[in-house]
Formats: sequence, structure tokens, C-alpha cells
Amino acid sequence: MTGLIAAAALLVTVVAFVSAAAALVATRRTAVALPVLLDLLLAAGLLRLALQPSPTQLAGTALLVLVKRLASSGIRHAAGARSTRPSPLRP
Amino acid sequence: MELVSEEFLKDAVELLVRLVESAGALVIFVGAAIAFVRFLDAAVRHRHQPHRFVAVRLGLGRYLALGLEFQLASDVLRTAVAPTLREIGELAAVAAIRTALNYFLGKEIKEEQEQLADERRSSTARSVSPP
Repeated sequence: MTGLIAAAALLVTVVAFVSAAAALVATRRTAVALPVLLDLLLAAGLLRLALQPSPTQLAGTALLVLVKRLASSGIRHAAGARSTRPSPLRP
Repeated sequence: MELVSEEFLKDAVELLVRLVESAGALVIFVGAAIAFVRFLDAAVRHRHQPHRFVAVRLGLGRYLALGLEFQLASDVLRTAVAPTLREIGELAAVAAIRTALNYFLGKEIKEEQEQLADERRSSTARSVSPP
């Protein structure tokens, strides 16, 4: 069972990179691709926590959530700054 | 008189814990698989609509939150047969971290929903307003 879940987590990690690459190629925006990568990496981390997690694994997943929150708030902040900045072409 | 032996109870709870944990893992894996297919679909067919990716991520977040609930349920079950204070302490730490993860995940889902609603409102306003 542990082996199966480890394999599933590895598969989800690969899927995370493929999905993020697809999002990046399709939209050419890292603000779209990065959250996709982090969400699927979190899914892989949660899968790894399914069977008797070690404190290191737990801390790793908690750190990933922290990074995800930091990145998403940074992206939102940057998007907000872009939308409020006046266009140089308009008076 | 002993109705159920302690060993039997331990085995039964252990089996239940494994079942609930496996259900949680299955929910997370299925959610990730569905999200992968929908991400590829959004990348191929709706490449100029980034809000589609946010919608898929919202769906994935719901699966992750559900999977975490299952994992928390298994932690609660484990406390039924945790004999030593040290084991109960470790379980409490694991449950606390999972609860915090679930809380932040829920908060993020709410924020993403608001962001998606804002984007939809602004795109509707753009399509309605005269050129």
C-alpha cells in the first residue's frame, strides 16, 4: 500500500510539471502556470502524508502551503498593481 | 466479563484507519487526475481564457480539502487505540498540522472563488459596454 501511494505521489508530481508547462505554453503567463504547479505539488505532498507521515514530511507539506500562499498573494498583488497603474498612452 | 478482546479492537481500528486513509488518498489522486485532464483541455482548447485554469484549480482544491478531511478522520480514529502519552502527542501534532493545512486550503479556495467572480464580472462588463 505504501509503495502504491508513493508511486501515485510521484505520478502526480510529474503531472504537476506537465500541467504547469502546458499552462505556461498556452497562456505565456507565469502567474497562471505557477499556481497550477504548486496546487498539483500540494496534491502530491498530501498523498505522501496519507500513510504514517514523518515529522519531516509534514513540515515539508506545511512549507509548501506557505510557499503557495506567499506566491499567490504576490501574484495577486502584482496583478492589482498592474491594473491600477495608469497607461502611458492615455492622458 | 470481556465482550470484545483488546487485540480484536486494535485490529479492527487499524483496519478502519487504513480504509479511511486509503479513501483520502484515492480522493486526492482522482482529483489530481481530473484536474490534469481539465488543465490539458484548458491549455489546448481555451488557451486565451486564463480564468479556466483558476476554475480547474478551484475544483482540485475541493478534492484536496475532502482528502484532508479523510486523513483527519483517520487521525481521530487512531486516537482510539493510542496507548502511550507520547503516541497521543504525536497524533495531536499531526492532526494540528492537517487541520491548519485544511484551514489555509479553505481560505485559499474562498479567495480564488472571489477572484474568479471578479474576473467574470469584468469580462461581462467588457462584452456589454459599447466599443
